[in-house]
Amino acid sequence: MTAPVTTATRLPARAGAGVLRVVVTKVLTAIVVLFFVATAAFLLVRLSGDPVKLILPPDATAAQEATLRASLGLDRPLITQYLDYLAGLPRLKLGTSLVYDQPVTDVLFSRIPATLELAGAALLVALALAVPAGTFAAMRRGRAGDSGVMAGVLVGQSTPAFWVGILLILIFAVQLKILPASGYGGIEHLILPAVTLAVYSVAVIARLLRSSLIDVLGSDFIRTAKAKGLGTGGIVLGHGMRNAALPVVTVVGLEVGSLLGGAILTEQVFSWPGLGRLTVEAIQNRDFPLVQAAVLFFAATFVIVNLLVDLSYTILDPRVRVTS
Amino acid sequence: MAPPRPRLSRRDALRLGGLALPALALPSLLTACGSAAGTPGTVLRVAQTSDPKTLDPQKQGDLTSMNVLINMFDTLTTRGPDNQLKPGLALSWSSPDPLTWRFKLRPGVKFHNGEPCDAKAVAFSINRLLDPATKSPIVELRYVKQAVVVDPLTVDLRCSEADPIIPAKVSLFGGVAVPPEYLKQVGSAGFAKHPVGTGPFTFEEFERDHQLRMRANPAYWGGKPAYDELVFLPMADPSSALASLQSDEVDIVAGLTPDAALQIQGYPGVEIRHFPGIRTSYLSLDTTQGPLRDVRVRQALNHAVDVPLLIKAVLDGKAREVPTMFPRESFGFDPSITPYTRDLGEAKRLLAEAGYANGFDTSISALTADSNVAEAISGLLAKVGVRARVDLVDSGTYTSRLTSDNRGALGPIYLAASTGWTLDAESLVQSNVRHDRRQSRWHNAEADRLIDGEELSLAPADRQKAFTSLQQLLKQEAPFVFLYQIDNVYAVNTRPTWQPGVVGVLAMASARVTP
Repeated sequence: MTAPVTTATRLPARAGAGVLRVVVTKVLTAIVVLFFVATAAFLLVRLSGDPVKLILPPDATAAQEATLRASLGLDRPLITQYLDYLAGLPRLKLGTSLVYDQPVTDVLFSRIPATLELAGAALLVALALAVPAGTFAAMRRGRAGDSGVMAGVLVGQSTPAFWVGILLILIFAVQLKILPASGYGGIEHLILPAVTLAVYSVAVIARLLRSSLIDVLGSDFIRTAKAKGLGTGGIVLGHGMRNAALPVVTVVGLEVGSLLGGAILTEQVFSWPGLGRLTVEAIQNRDFPLVQAAVLFFAATFVIVNLLVDLSYTILDPRVRVTS
Repeated sequence: MAPPRPRLSRRDALRLGGLALPALALPSLLTACGSAAGTPGTVLRVAQTSDPKTLDPQKQGDLTSMNVLINMFDTLTTRGPDNQLKPGLALSWSSPDPLTWRFKLRPGVKFHNGEPCDAKAVAFSINRLLDPATKSPIVELRYVKQAVVVDPLTVDLRCSEADPIIPAKVSLFGGVAVPPEYLKQVGSAGFAKHPVGTGPFTFEEFERDHQLRMRANPAYWGGKPAYDELVFLPMADPSSALASLQSDEVDIVAGLTPDAALQIQGYPGVEIRHFPGIRTSYLSLDTTQGPLRDVRVRQALNHAVDVPLLIKAVLDGKAREVPTMFPRESFGFDPSITPYTRDLGEAKRLLAEAGYANGFDTSISALTADSNVAEAISGLLAKVGVRARVDLVDSGTYTSRLTSDNRGALGPIYLAASTGWTLDAESLVQSNVRHDRRQSRWHNAEADRLIDGEELSLAPADRQKAFTSLQQLLKQEAPFVFLYQIDNVYAVNTRPTWQPGVVGVLAMASARVTP
């Protein structure tokens, strides 16, 4: 992953054409990255073992194994399989799942909405909690409120998601019986997994926003604003936030990645029908085409989010636009 | 110190409660809790570890898939709660010659779409299974060459070699009936999306990793089930599955290990039921090299591993000791053969006699899921000086090594378990006793002769004789350490009653549910 700040500062003065060039370069880089990810995924899953052994029961004969291997096309030379796979990529023809016997794109796309719903809700929860918490802590710097928030943040950051999940299930599903312990459906199913997934991100974002705000609030232009007679609220919201947002946006972008990653555990605990559970099962089953497609999807999401983070700098910070 | 604690934790609970405030603000939504709400009639909701891999009954071979599909599809023969083979789609069967099995079908059976389930459909089904293009993982019918229609209600299975347990094998999905006309119309992919069988439930809806719903089939030849809807829910994590049971989102949690089930002991309205099972565990010993070549060492290990203690301490009593590796309900089991006496003195004496007075170093490979059992066995062996390191591997690696050409890939000792779904002892020994089989690590001419005897003879009396001798030989020569057959464990609320067979498949048609 490229460090967004360095690329952003390289933006030329004439923003319009320059931004386009940066976007084109970025997209090309992204394609190269994805090509390497695709290759690595292809090789790594094949190193992990033989799916035919897992599809058939252990008492299958060697002849039965050979027949199935041939009908799945796994007896062809590795290079042929690889070239076929590469040729299919641009058209999103990623093969047929060995286990589900369906095109992997169908399997994958049917699960993406659930994961996006979960990760999106978690991000909203994280921002809704972290922004006030971080701001509050920064304004009360060094006082009891600050220590309280930071202690909470420390707990949140160091608690494993699956444990939080089980705790929430015990409280809200088993004891209070006000929310379902698992499953997929209405908003009531979304609350516990989204909160579970958000806990870590709340901590990360709140902590960063606090330190970033403290930095900004100590700078000269804030002192000027104070001298103009602006109230504390006005200063923090009008001047502080915008300037403190830069590093926060970066970390929120990175959090999207960790939310997708964290979804693997959370989906398992809450029986959420998303990509995380699908990927775990596909890996256990050595379902080559499905693992390859899932890895590519996760990688593509990372790449796209990073691209968006880079571009958002030009909007948030005028200095980035004028630096040549 | 003590008093402030509860106050703190209550405050913590409140703080957590604050996180869920949006939920409290939406009470109307909350009344719609539960996946099957709003459906009229009685519903039975069953949670197991995962979804069926596919809804095409000929393209799966794992227990979780079978658990679901057995409720929508029928097989030629079947097993009742008494574990006896009884008619399914076939009313009777016979063997006119050693290479043929003839099945007389039940008249008037129809698929859910109205298509007749006759000899043509059954022959089509078997031949579809055998076709390599189907890519079926079902391997039981390995000696069947083809199925032939004899008359509208008679089908012959022609075999390349004599197979005495074909009638038992077609009680599994080797003997499933699929509708030929419907398959022609919608193709294999369409069939897997909307399966059509002859079974007690008709397919309603499948949302992968969420739920699979079926409705009772009013026209079922075996009579309509006593409730209206059957729902399967996949829940990989046993803790959350049990939490769902406690919060009344499911009625049955299946596929539990004894230690997982212990979590909800004592919780009101929820109970743990366990029924005899046939999944049989044993240690495979590599008799071709090292100390395990000596029969006295192998016998010593059998004396040292105190199976009753193991069952009590690690499996919460939910297993039964087996004399050899045959489960009690299998054809071939001989009750006159008794388990090893557990005798540390005898074990030490045998080891000393074999020249290992100070024991030896070895290793036990096991699945991570079986780590408790493997560690306990290692501890029991240590009492006689056998220092066994436990090597835990994931299931994928385990299976690859188990079926690899290198028969020592899992080390000198590995913990294995087999489910002999055919309820015939052959299933337990077919791949690991005759010296030329894939997982065999034992060379014994007498054992080879006995295996041939039970595999190639059709007369039950001859087969039983061979099995009895084989069990005596297995006990005497001890190429395995014989352990136990584990119970099937379910956590249930007060609504359902049903009687599962030892095979442990979740055929729920005969269940009763209080509304």
